Amino acid sequence: MNELREVARTLLTDGTVRVIIGWEDARRGARPVFVTDPAGADKLIFDTRCVHNLVTYLNPRRDNVAELGKIGLVVKGCDAKAVAGLLREAQLTRDDIVLIGVRCGGVLEEAELPEAAPLSPENVAPRCYGCDNREPELVDHLLGESQPEPPRPVMTIDERVAALDGQALEERWAFWTEQFSKCVRCYACRQVCPLCVCERCVVEKSRPQWIEASPHPRGNLSWNITRALHLAGRCVDCGECERFCPVGIPLSLVNRKLQQIVGERYGYTVSDDPETPAPIGDYRLDDKQEFIK
Amino acid sequence: MSRVGVFVCHCGENIARTVDCEAVVEALKDHPGVAFAEDYKYMCSDPGQQLVKKAIEENDLTGVVVAACSPHMHEKTFRRACDQAGLNQYMCEMANVREHCSWIHEDRGEATAKAIDITRTIVEKVKHNKPLESIRIPVTKRALVIGGGIAGIQAALDIADGGHEVVLVEKEASIGGHMSQLSETFPTLDCSQCILTPRMVEAYQHPNIKLHTWSEVEKVDGYIGNFNVTIRKKARSVNEDLCNGCGDCQAACPAKRIPSEFEAGLGKRTAIYVPFPQAVPNIPVLDRQNCTLFKGRRKGLAKDVCGKCQEVCLKGAVDYDTEDTFIEEEIGAIVVATGFQLYNIGREQPEGLKGYGEYGYGEVPDVIDGLQFERLASASGPTDGAILRPSDGKEPKTVVFVHCVGSRDPEKGISYCSKICCMYNAKHAMLYKHKVHDGRAVAFYMDIRAGGKGYDEFSRRAIEEDGAEYIRGRVSRIFRDGDVVKVWGYDTLSGEQVVIDADMVVLATAMRPQDGVRELAQKLSVSTDEHGFINEAHPKLRPVETNTAGVFVAGACQAPRDIPEAVAMASATGAKVMSLFSADELEREPAVAIVNENTCIGCMNCAKVCAYGAIEQREICTVDGHVCGHVAYVNPGVCQGCGTCQAVCLSKSVELQTFTDEQIFSEINALCYWE
Amino acid sequence: MSDATDTSGAAADGFEPRVTAFVCNWCTYTGADLAGTSRLHMASNVRIIRLPCTGRIDPLFIIKAFERGADGVIVSGCHPADCHYTTGNYHARRRFAVFHDLMEFIGVDPRRMTFSWVSASEGAKWRDVVNEAVTNVRTLGPFEAYRALAPKDAGVAAPAGPSAEAEAS
Repeated sequence: MNELREVARTLLTDGTVRVIIGWEDARRGARPVFVTDPAGADKLIFDTRCVHNLVTYLNPRRDNVAELGKIGLVVKGCDAKAVAGLLREAQLTRDDIVLIGVRCGGVLEEAELPEAAPLSPENVAPRCYGCDNREPELVDHLLGESQPEPPRPVMTIDERVAALDGQALEERWAFWTEQFSKCVRCYACRQVCPLCVCERCVVEKSRPQWIEASPHPRGNLSWNITRALHLAGRCVDCGECERFCPVGIPLSLVNRKLQQIVGERYGYTVSDDPETPAPIGDYRLDDKQEFIK
Repeated sequence: MSRVGVFVCHCGENIARTVDCEAVVEALKDHPGVAFAEDYKYMCSDPGQQLVKKAIEENDLTGVVVAACSPHMHEKTFRRACDQAGLNQYMCEMANVREHCSWIHEDRGEATAKAIDITRTIVEKVKHNKPLESIRIPVTKRALVIGGGIAGIQAALDIADGGHEVVLVEKEASIGGHMSQLSETFPTLDCSQCILTPRMVEAYQHPNIKLHTWSEVEKVDGYIGNFNVTIRKKARSVNEDLCNGCGDCQAACPAKRIPSEFEAGLGKRTAIYVPFPQAVPNIPVLDRQNCTLFKGRRKGLAKDVCGKCQEVCLKGAVDYDTEDTFIEEEIGAIVVATGFQLYNIGREQPEGLKGYGEYGYGEVPDVIDGLQFERLASASGPTDGAILRPSDGKEPKTVVFVHCVGSRDPEKGISYCSKICCMYNAKHAMLYKHKVHDGRAVAFYMDIRAGGKGYDEFSRRAIEEDGAEYIRGRVSRIFRDGDVVKVWGYDTLSGEQVVIDADMVVLATAMRPQDGVRELAQKLSVSTDEHGFINEAHPKLRPVETNTAGVFVAGACQAPRDIPEAVAMASATGAKVMSLFSADELEREPAVAIVNENTCIGCMNCAKVCAYGAIEQREICTVDGHVCGHVAYVNPGVCQGCGTCQAVCLSKSVELQTFTDEQIFSEINALCYWE
Repeated sequence: MSDATDTSGAAADGFEPRVTAFVCNWCTYTGADLAGTSRLHMASNVRIIRLPCTGRIDPLFIIKAFERGADGVIVSGCHPADCHYTTGNYHARRRFAVFHDLMEFIGVDPRRMTFSWVSASEGAKWRDVVNEAVTNVRTLGPFEAYRALAPKDAGVAAPAGPSAEAEAS
């Protein structure tokens, strides 16, 4: 943590960046903080409560953030992958940001605690298990000591997906339509997702209105399927969508399923290398087509 | 307010037998937005079209739906009729109730219900059609031909004879390509240079052809009708305007032992040289790599150690201080005709190919390739046309010709057949036998591919009249054994191993694209296949076009080709270019994608999937000129209208005209199945 | 009432599925034309919507078709390497592979969605694709589960409903 504060202070003092976006203590958990004064660098923390994916503040539509000047952003491994996603889609130029990577051993599922708790199978965020970006490469600085791997949660996301896969079609349909019926169309999932940066989201296109906007099961299903499809090959598993959903829809299961699909079919895992093309928008001559007559 | 006219065709009995056309009219006439509905026996006939025109005028129709055959049959017919009646042709669509309905169903009730659904769907689509205008882009009526071999020369002549300026760029010092190295050509055995040089001279002297030899294409910007091409004229060291081709410089040059590329390594040339006596232009080039003076300069010597060519040149044309220069040309169409090179056979190979070290090429001097044999047979070649073997200059009494060296061998990296080798092997066997009457010509072959006009007769002549021996089988090893070249092969028809003590072996090597073609293809935004051949737009129906609008391809750079094919392709590209140049503006169907710059965030996913490179990034500015972002822009001159960009756009910020989201949405809605 | 060439046998309650087909103009649409020219009879349940290329086909089209009461859909285009626009079908292939797998995960029976490559010369194949798709969907029954998602008053979404108000010109 001291290392982080030092680096932040130096970057601000020598004018390399105009603002550092990181986490600060909020008495019940951590919360994002924008530090423009070198003295404020002491507010910066990094612990298991730092679940937020701060890359959401790099959304080019947020001109108020861009106006602050060059940004220094604190990122975990998953967050760094989101930066790569934005670079791939020409939403950022690498020179516009300084990435301060922190070595992460996982975060809490319930992070609104007055103090950081050590991780255990019972309290770790399931998405952290199996993290493949523990030494992010995209960053300009990589701070902190090497961390142990995130503990295996009581039930991993893959196991929960497998359990669903094992069910009959009708059971899955009943499960998902029930889950999606709860959706209130608040779009918190979209708002917090670092890769959802469209000026006018497809659900807001009214001529024609492909996705019905009011919160009933038919429109909700269309919205949730579309959201999932738009993230195929782009989702970095930061878990924010599920964390933000006020009605507890298990979006991590859908996201993981899509990762499995592109992994199995196209050998693709999302990385923080912006040069690797995303799977949708790319093709190989021998792509699997067993479902096509 | 939409006022759509619905016209239901009986098509004689073709539709009316199965579909109740009056019922379709009845079902549609009160449909919201329909102002007129009628049925008729033959809509595509003159009275039928008159019916449409009259209805448009009398009812102020804003759209027309003709429920009849497939749009592939008559969409143009009815669009023309609408246009003549003053209704924008893109407000007319066809509902396919024949091929997709009356012809494939028996039950009248089912077919009629389906015909009503189909027609209603298209009516709903037309209500969202827009009165589009053809896209017009200006065309610069000048062509660029890259490559001065027979294909490039033919294309240049055809376009130039058609009255348009052609810029012909050739990377060697002379045009003519590989055809100038051949002695005789199949299937007529006429002299290659005799038929080629008149064409070369015609191209050089043609008032409409601007020839740049010893030059390459450096950069290509722009798009069809509007290319900007930068050409690098490499430093020749000889002023082309002053030189009169007298040849004194070559005679004076002290460096006389440089292997000649034209003689395929079997002869020598000087450092300042014209590649062959009939070269066009007959202006030498100075090979700075092998020139004594330039070697001295590279060593940093204070004084130039030679200067003979400059001394003897009475015109003062030799200039050692020239540098590469760049020329910009404005071009409307480009023809790629870069030809081929032969597979180099040795152990070391580029690009993942494996060599035939076992054939001794490069180690045994009497193992040569097809072009080298052409030079031996050529009257102006290093042996004045006598067949003499390279090692000791003796006349070989037994010559073995090996087919398929490199070709048809996926193990070694080339899976395709090079097409011309069976023919030129037969030719070589015949030329050899004509010159060495008591010689023995043996050919090892896999199959004989002689599909052209007169080709099979020609290849049989080699066997039946000139006594060439054809053995069906492969050669496993070729090596020197004392004075002979031993060839170990196999005769599959007799099932026996064969050993031949040859005096010389000629390997028929694969045709490959030239080096540097991949880089050139990138500059032109055309694609190449895994072997480096340029990809045609469609293998059967568009063999001389590429997927880049305005770039055409001719000859062996697209696939192994013989001379008649190369010439045919070249003339075909000529026709395509002439067609492009036939109007001052290029008129294109307005089925192109248009980006909504208000909602586009410039992620450029659309550009990544566009097969035609039609989408580029564009900066957008505020009213006071301050750059505030970037968006995608679709070039309407290049877009082919597939709509893949629209399907990948996450925010639906790009619309393909004639298949917009509104149109498709309304079609799906029209099929609403609620009871 | 079933078409003579439909070999599946009508469902006991006479249910005839409604199938919406999204096909590319250059291959499948033309192949369907050829089926017509060759007088190849087939089930009459399919309604074709023409697109320039499978690359243009958006999964939202299929979702909208199901919302509008289709019991099944067909998506068909040119064989890989034959796309009129060179690469459109390669992109469609990936897009629909992901969509197909996701829909199955959500609990939609994949037999309700038929994907095929039908070239302009494959009139007979189109007939087979149509007949097979219709048979499969007939066996599965009406897609009541999707319609049950609709808001209670959605039944009045009549064919001309939305478009009647939103008249373009």
